[in-house]
Amino acid sequence: MDSADTAKLKKRKINAAIYFMNMHAVETMVKAEDLGKTVETSAGQLTILKGINLEIKKSESVAIVGESGSGKSTLLGLLAGLDTPSRGVIFLDGNEITALDEEERARVRGESVGFVFQSFQLLASLTAVENVMLPAELKGETGAGKQAHALLKRVGLENRAHHYPRQLSGGEQQRVAIARAFASSARILFADEPTGNLDTKTGGVIIELLFELNKEFGTTLVLVTHDTNLATRCDRAIHIDSGMLIAAENTDSGYSAPAVEGN
Amino acid sequence: MANLKLALKLLWRDWRAGELSLLLASLVIAVGTVTTITLFIDRLQQALVTESSSFIAADRVISAARPVPDEWLARATELQLEQAAHLSFLSMVFAEERAQFASVKAVSSKYPLRGKLIVSDTPFVGGSVIKHGPPPGEVWLESRLMPSLDLAVGDQLDVGSASFIVSRVLIKEPDRGGGFNNLGPRVMMNLQDVPLTRVVQPGSRLTYRYLFAGDQNNLQEFEAWLSPRLGQDYRQYGVKQGIQGIGKTLERAERFLLLGGLLGVILAGVAIALSAQRFSIRHFDHVAIMKSLGATSAKIDFLYLIVFVVIGIVATLIGCGVGWVSQLGVVKLLAPFIPVALPDPGLRPFLVGAITGFVCLLAFALPPILKLRAISPIRVLRRDLGNQKMQDAVTWIFGICGSWLLMWWYSQDLKLTMLIFSGGVLAVLLLGGVAWFLLRTGRVLGMQAGSVWRLALAGMQRRGQENTLQILVFGLAIMLLLILVLVRTALIDEWKAQIPDKAPNHFVINIAPEEVAPINAMLSGYQLRSQPLYPMISGKIVEVNGKSSRELDEMREAELGEQHGPRAASTRNLTWMQSLPEDNRIVAGQWWADDYQGEALVSIERDLALANSFNVGDELKFAIRDSELNARIASIRSVKWDNMKPNFYIIFSPGALDDFPSTYITSFFLEKDQKLFLNKLLREYPTITVLEVDVIIEQIQTIINQVTLAVELVLALIIVSGGLVLLASIQASMDERFHQHAILRTLGASRKLVMGSLLVEFSVLGFFAGILATLGAEVTVYGLVTEIFELEYTIHPWLWLLGPLIGTLMIGILGTLATRRVVQIPPMTILRELA
Repeated sequence: MDSADTAKLKKRKINAAIYFMNMHAVETMVKAEDLGKTVETSAGQLTILKGINLEIKKSESVAIVGESGSGKSTLLGLLAGLDTPSRGVIFLDGNEITALDEEERARVRGESVGFVFQSFQLLASLTAVENVMLPAELKGETGAGKQAHALLKRVGLENRAHHYPRQLSGGEQQRVAIARAFASSARILFADEPTGNLDTKTGGVIIELLFELNKEFGTTLVLVTHDTNLATRCDRAIHIDSGMLIAAENTDSGYSAPAVEGN
Repeated sequence: MANLKLALKLLWRDWRAGELSLLLASLVIAVGTVTTITLFIDRLQQALVTESSSFIAADRVISAARPVPDEWLARATELQLEQAAHLSFLSMVFAEERAQFASVKAVSSKYPLRGKLIVSDTPFVGGSVIKHGPPPGEVWLESRLMPSLDLAVGDQLDVGSASFIVSRVLIKEPDRGGGFNNLGPRVMMNLQDVPLTRVVQPGSRLTYRYLFAGDQNNLQEFEAWLSPRLGQDYRQYGVKQGIQGIGKTLERAERFLLLGGLLGVILAGVAIALSAQRFSIRHFDHVAIMKSLGATSAKIDFLYLIVFVVIGIVATLIGCGVGWVSQLGVVKLLAPFIPVALPDPGLRPFLVGAITGFVCLLAFALPPILKLRAISPIRVLRRDLGNQKMQDAVTWIFGICGSWLLMWWYSQDLKLTMLIFSGGVLAVLLLGGVAWFLLRTGRVLGMQAGSVWRLALAGMQRRGQENTLQILVFGLAIMLLLILVLVRTALIDEWKAQIPDKAPNHFVINIAPEEVAPINAMLSGYQLRSQPLYPMISGKIVEVNGKSSRELDEMREAELGEQHGPRAASTRNLTWMQSLPEDNRIVAGQWWADDYQGEALVSIERDLALANSFNVGDELKFAIRDSELNARIASIRSVKWDNMKPNFYIIFSPGALDDFPSTYITSFFLEKDQKLFLNKLLREYPTITVLEVDVIIEQIQTIINQVTLAVELVLALIIVSGGLVLLASIQASMDERFHQHAILRTLGASRKLVMGSLLVEFSVLGFFAGILATLGAEVTVYGLVTEIFELEYTIHPWLWLLGPLIGTLMIGILGTLATRRVVQIPPMTILRELA
């Protein structure tokens, strides 16, 4: 191990220590400090996110709410380690992911994170059950098929296991995506407008399913939506506008989280 | 191990979903085309060489005026070469009451090693193949000797002091040739009988030929061993140097087949690059999803490299199989036209196919697939993000280096590779810019047009970069096809012109001046198309600008060794002429005026002048018979040696040779059934000599026909693979076109509008591609024709019409047909498929 690696490891240990010191009675799942994201465009620098500070506890369900283009999806991508911020620090399930490279972030995603997307993001060339098996297969786990069938049964699609995504309706595709999200035994689930492509009724069913499974698996849920009704189902909503947090509120579900500062 | 299993699983799932079929298909086509062409060329080449070997009755020949050292033959035996020999000389032969000057050929028992002897019992009729020449005590006579000597099979013939039984009529011998030692009708006898005739005396004019045949490597080893020992007295040659007129034909045909194979490889490479690109783009989402699920870049590399290797292996196996089967089909189809039995192919074509497949995969498919590792997982949230800008430079460099290496390895010919390659690169660079420009102006013009045009041209403009690339690909494919067609046409024209129908097939020499008029009258009496009678006299150059020509030759030999052109001091046939022969071209100086009557001038053939540094104005001294003659070089001219007409190295101005007694030469065309005319001619003018070249002309024409057929076939194969490249290219842009037009359909665009816009779009692309292809083809063909095939180049005005027309029609029709599905199935289905 060379000195650069040693230094890196040291830094990570210190950061982890700080993280644990910051822990209150409840374990912290996500923490972001002074998060910012700017991108270069042909028209000059564009600030998408600015000065975001937030903390999400284990088993908490949080909605990130905002208008189209407010930066909420970008925030979700950063928190989940899909992208890197221009500034600031993010901790995800005990890892300072802003100090990791893409390879290491991929490992963290594989171990801790599950996703549900607006556009489902199923692999078109894989059947429903194969899509659900994929996370376990990527990890090289055995028994992926058995688990996948069980999950498909849980989301009510045991009869459609061998159908391809294009043979499934939107709601069914999203149920497969939810099954896949839980197949990775994720500790935190990121959902980006999970009902955005679905009609109200189907969307409602999907949300029910998502919250049920979330409870069952004790997962932390971070959900991006512009649907205020959906936001109220969460423990807490974070409002974002023009790349900044404008307020954090407790919803009426009873759990009271520490106030998050916005600036 | 777990990763390998996963990779194979993903591969299987991709295959099942049809994601791999296009890539696999282009690879199979690449390997298949190359294997088919290589296999076919391999077998055909072997066949042609074997067939052509019959022209010299062997694979290699040593020719000399005296026997070769025994050591040489021992060396050949060591190398396990088959051997035979024959001795040719001119002699009077005697029947009971008549005598005739004949060209006697005494052959050893194993003659011929290659080709066939055909004999018959009656003159001029049919005949059957016989393995070896006459046994001791027997002679075989050429047909026309039988009536002229009034002989029948079974009669007796005397050669020198020995008597022989005429046992058969000789209809055809493989190495009849046209040399001056073969003048006159043939008598074939056994080599063992020569001492009995006592014809061979010191000072006799004899030609010994030693024939060798066997394994190529051994032959080459023999040749290498022999060449330093040959010296001035012995000449060694193979098929290509052995027969006038055929060597160049074979060489050019080989080069053409090679060129065909090369272009096939490039076309296949382009098809692979296109489908790999499409495969890669279609997998952007897959990779982003897998990454979001925790797959690392290293894992992505591994997974796709396995896909890559497995596809490579599968495609190579299938491709070789396809190559084998299609080549069998081609051979079977051609069996009636190819009179030679094709030998079994070697392993080399399969190896060439397999290596081509993997190099193509590496050069054309690897770069787009390696790009996948760089796809950012953020793409799952925002498709426009994480759409990694293709590292185009890397792709191009890989592709360019790959094609260069492939071409070089395949052709083993640096000049040919550089020519095609620089043609291609120049076309890509220059024409890429032009394509972009044409697209821009196209839009401005289109803006004023009807809605179909506006829709089509706006679409093209929007995808400007992709369309520039597509025009380039279309243009490249059409260009390669045009190149092949043009070179083929130039070659075949040249071959046809080489020996036109009814070209003179008989030469008459030794015509005395007083016989000129009566022979002319006799020829026209029989309505034979004859050439003018040229005077002919032998002589040699003895001094050049006051220096001895023999010394010049020695100096040049010391300098250049064996590799030199025609010698200055050799004895040559001289002639004089008023006007320049039809096929000759002046390259320096001037031809004399029609009424020229001044001092003696000469016109020298180009190779002779080049080899000996003769220039216009140089003073030459000739020795003719016992006197000398001075003449100044007035011009240097090129000669078509292979046109089967009387050709001369040295031509004097009119009047220069008047003081010397000369004989005359002429040539004429004689149909097969008019052969008996020769007997009449010979009976009336017994001192003249008739040279029959009809057999060799026929042989040359046979070979040319076979080679032409082979060339046409390879062209057809390449056209098929060119079509496939066009399809692959259209396919590659299909997704986006489908998407766009499905949206238009949902918005209520009529079938007519959508199809019309597609037709316009593809036709315009095709039109531009056709222009670029024509330009590129003309330039490359100029280089190829002048540098590689050594033919004369002429611009092809019709091509400038045809090229764009072909482009417009081909791309327009192929493209519209391939995308027609967009109006046939519900737009929802398409949008869903592409979602």
